Amino acid sequence: MDSSEFIVEVVLENKPAARDPVGETIKRDLLAKKGYNSITNVRSGQYLRIYVKASNQEEAKTIVNKMCNDLRIFNPITQNFNILKVSDKKK
Amino acid sequence: MNIPTVKDNETEVKVDLTKEEIEGIKDLMNREPNATEWGMFDIMYSEHCSYKSSRPILKSFENAVENYEYVLAGPGEDAGVIDIGDGYCVAFRIESHNHPSAIEPYHGAATGIGGIIRDILCMGVRPIALLDPLRFGPLRGNPNSQWLFKYVIKGIADYGNCTGIPTIGGEVEFDKSFENNCLVNVACIGLGKIEDFEHAPSEAFYPGDYVVLMGGSTGRDGIHGVTFASRTLTEQSEEDRPAVQIGDPFNKKLIIESTLEAVKTGYIRGLKDLGGGGLTCAVSELTGNGDTGATIYLDKIFTREPGMTSFEIMLSESQERMAFIVKPEGLEKVLDVFRKFETNFAVIGRIDDSKILKVFQGDKLVVNIPAKALSSEVPVIPRAEKRPKYLDKLLVQKTPELKENLDEIIYKLIASENICNKEWIYRQYDHEVGIRSVVKCGEGDSGVLRLIGTNKFLAASVGTNSKHCYLDPYEGAKGGLVEACGNVIANGAKPMAMVNDCNFGNPEQPESYWFFSQAVKGMADFCKELRIPVVGGKVSFYNENEATHTAIKPAPVIMIIGLIVGQENIVTLPFKCSGNDILLVGETKAELGGSEYHSVIYDMEGGNPPKVNETQVKTTWNFLFKLYDKHLVKANHDVNKGGFVITVTEMCFKNNLGANLDLTNCFDNSLRNDELLFSESVGRFIIESEPKDYEKILKIAKKNNVHVIKIGILISSLEINITGIKNSKDIKLDLNKMKNLYDFTIPNIMEI
Amino acid sequence: MPIKIAVVQFPGSNCDLDAVHVLNEVIGVECSLVWHNNFKEAEFDGVILPGGFSFGDYLRAGIIAAHSPAIEQARIMLKDGRPLIGICNGFQILTEAQFLPGALLQNESLKFICKWVNIKVENNKTAFTNRMKLNDILDIPIAHGEGRYFTDNLKELEENDQIVFRYTNQKGEITKEANPNGSMNNIAGVCNLEQNCLGLMPHPERASEEILSPNGTFYGKLFFQSMIDFIQKRL
Repeated sequence: MDSSEFIVEVVLENKPAARDPVGETIKRDLLAKKGYNSITNVRSGQYLRIYVKASNQEEAKTIVNKMCNDLRIFNPITQNFNILKVSDKKK
Repeated sequence: MNIPTVKDNETEVKVDLTKEEIEGIKDLMNREPNATEWGMFDIMYSEHCSYKSSRPILKSFENAVENYEYVLAGPGEDAGVIDIGDGYCVAFRIESHNHPSAIEPYHGAATGIGGIIRDILCMGVRPIALLDPLRFGPLRGNPNSQWLFKYVIKGIADYGNCTGIPTIGGEVEFDKSFENNCLVNVACIGLGKIEDFEHAPSEAFYPGDYVVLMGGSTGRDGIHGVTFASRTLTEQSEEDRPAVQIGDPFNKKLIIESTLEAVKTGYIRGLKDLGGGGLTCAVSELTGNGDTGATIYLDKIFTREPGMTSFEIMLSESQERMAFIVKPEGLEKVLDVFRKFETNFAVIGRIDDSKILKVFQGDKLVVNIPAKALSSEVPVIPRAEKRPKYLDKLLVQKTPELKENLDEIIYKLIASENICNKEWIYRQYDHEVGIRSVVKCGEGDSGVLRLIGTNKFLAASVGTNSKHCYLDPYEGAKGGLVEACGNVIANGAKPMAMVNDCNFGNPEQPESYWFFSQAVKGMADFCKELRIPVVGGKVSFYNENEATHTAIKPAPVIMIIGLIVGQENIVTLPFKCSGNDILLVGETKAELGGSEYHSVIYDMEGGNPPKVNETQVKTTWNFLFKLYDKHLVKANHDVNKGGFVITVTEMCFKNNLGANLDLTNCFDNSLRNDELLFSESVGRFIIESEPKDYEKILKIAKKNNVHVIKIGILISSLEINITGIKNSKDIKLDLNKMKNLYDFTIPNIMEI
Repeated sequence: MPIKIAVVQFPGSNCDLDAVHVLNEVIGVECSLVWHNNFKEAEFDGVILPGGFSFGDYLRAGIIAAHSPAIEQARIMLKDGRPLIGICNGFQILTEAQFLPGALLQNESLKFICKWVNIKVENNKTAFTNRMKLNDILDIPIAHGEGRYFTDNLKELEENDQIVFRYTNQKGEITKEANPNGSMNNIAGVCNLEQNCLGLMPHPERASEEILSPNGTFYGKLFFQSMIDFIQKRL
């Protein structure tokens, strides 16, 4: 009896070998030049917010995991896939 | 500015209308309009839609459709259209998106491209090329100008590339006056069969036809976008950010393909894009022009946000929407095309013979306006014009004494922002998709496209010289025409038609309005004399900084379309062969006013600007075509910014050639050295020809009364040597150094 | 039976009509534009996945098109040994569909690049390169924003002779300056193990006619002529 809706937040990042020119550019060409020397690194990625109907948070996570792998929502050769957070969707 | 408000039951609506306009509208309607109806009039009466400030002046253009057999559609239509033979027609138009781009450059420029593509598409033809004439404040040392420059170009690139339409040409000018008011003009060319064009009128003639909306969904964005364009930018404008929309080029691509396929069904009897003014503009233009009426059901429209009021739906400027007028028996066939491409669509109403535009929301009649009332001529607002007093002082400014080394001056000019290599820009544009680009960016003064299935080629060029126009808008506008035509002629094309985009300051200021009025007179006179039909135009006013009251330098941007018949008649810019002659065609005069020499070396704006002699221009062009007939021209580049030495330099680069120039007795003795080298007199060309043809060329020149002098020959070492300069030592230019300076100015500034 | 080639059109494909034109008018082979949902492999001897921005390049270039039924049809052709070429966006689709190894990422410069480049022929035994000579330098244009080739098993590709083209300068030297987008090892195109499927970022359909080339060359024709030869040998 799945009656709740959950929000699963996911981030897709490039694997180190695939490089992250966007993150590199922000760090090198913007932050360093504007005197933000305390910032040591910047990584960029894609953020997806997925709304899932499930009976509990665990199930929601499982569904999203499966979907992202089956449909190649992330490219396993070049990207890492991380579930950042699962929360209840407030009515 | 006094912005009055009018009231409806629930809504208080701000309308940008004068007292006279409000009274006039109440008369037309015979009652007090409701809020939604007021909103619609506000849009239709904005400067952007009604041209109330500019119409009287624009009437000075000769009527193109009446006077030129091959013009199929002229000003007033969504695009100018010309018959190019073999059953084909070419549509083209130029638009401005200045205010949105100044606030949000990426999306402003992108949606500008989106809009101009739609204008061409609604003529029933396929958009095949884009051009972008742009104006910014100088880049060096100005992060804001760099930001605008970077993102305008990225916006144009991303949108044009995604829709698969090549950006084949453009132009960019840098001047302080554009610092707070950048100009982003975009032009589009379309190609199709004449029979398809005939299926896409912008009028609905037949009661019973369906009105179908297709494309993007309708949301609250851009409400009052056109009134935004009709006011100057202020701090308030930052809050106007919601008036800038986000384009969707993927959706646009689907719309292009589905529209073209729908037109080919033969069941489309009217086609209009929803641009500035949204559904209001589109529906009222369709019915008003056609003398029919329509009933529209707002509930059928697919909206992006819930609970939109009738006011919001009629005024929404959500992007990527097209309106089709469809023959009843073909409705399903047309809808099937939309289903195939999975574009959203809705049948939102029908045309009838009531001559009234009725809009229903649910059962409630929310709009009831006589169709003619919306599209009838908005009363013209007469504007005063006054020649600015400060011009007199500027025109007599004297060029300072020549102190610098001529070589050094030329190195500075080739590296200056207005002259340097713009490759940084066009490498970001896919300029080859469609496999029509035959003369590509950097190889010619204009972009040249082949028309597959014919032996014809289309050449297109855009531009103007705002520094010249600032000193003399009448001569400057004519000069812009000479240059744009010269660009296509340099590639072997005969100029066929013109469209223009007039970017000026606040028309309520008499001095600003004077520039506009003079520029239009210049264009009208020149086009009439040289027999070039004006098939379209756009006016963008209010490009002015409200705080400082400084207007932009006047920029009447011109676009010329030309035609070449036969591949063997295409001429390109780069010099071809060592040993060949270098000839300068056309007369050089002491015209340094508004030149790059003045601004780069002396930071000076004044002086004597170039003037146009129509007779000389005519004979020069005829002369060139006579040489082309005999295939005597191996390379051609028209002379403009920086003078003819810059022109020669640019022609040397591609094939690694150099030049030995001997200027002894080439020029009028009264000309100073800097005048002869750096003058920007219009209508001149540098051509390459074979020594064996020299006598023949001179003979033809004499016969046609054209000024031609041989100034030198091509050599294989990478240098330009100039001798014969009176009272001065010879000039020796290192071409490798020149190329470096030319190539790296923009990358050095933009690539941090 | 005359040879029939298909160019599959996805929503957002841009270079589809270009490829159809080259096959029909320049090579002289019957070539049709087929809407992706209507593509039936049995009707065709070879297939081209053209350049463009299929599905807007949303999420990742080529990923949504890779899920199209057209790709399932193409998989049958692939298994059957028929020739399949993916150009630019087509290459991106083939890597996402895992017909070809590796992936295409955003250009190192973070900008779209449109220019003519040189590529060296590293494998002339594929269905699309059999008319070329090993180490030939071809000039051909690129136009892409996501062309940086990456693979996590470069060694395998090299051992299996799957690297077909590399970016070089005019002299044929594989240098950093000659690499327009930061591709690993200057790789411009790769093939599958069976050598009947090729993916490359440059556009051969834009280099098949002298009139379109800044240098008057037309190396693009070789790709399509090779494909026809390959098909004819199999028949």
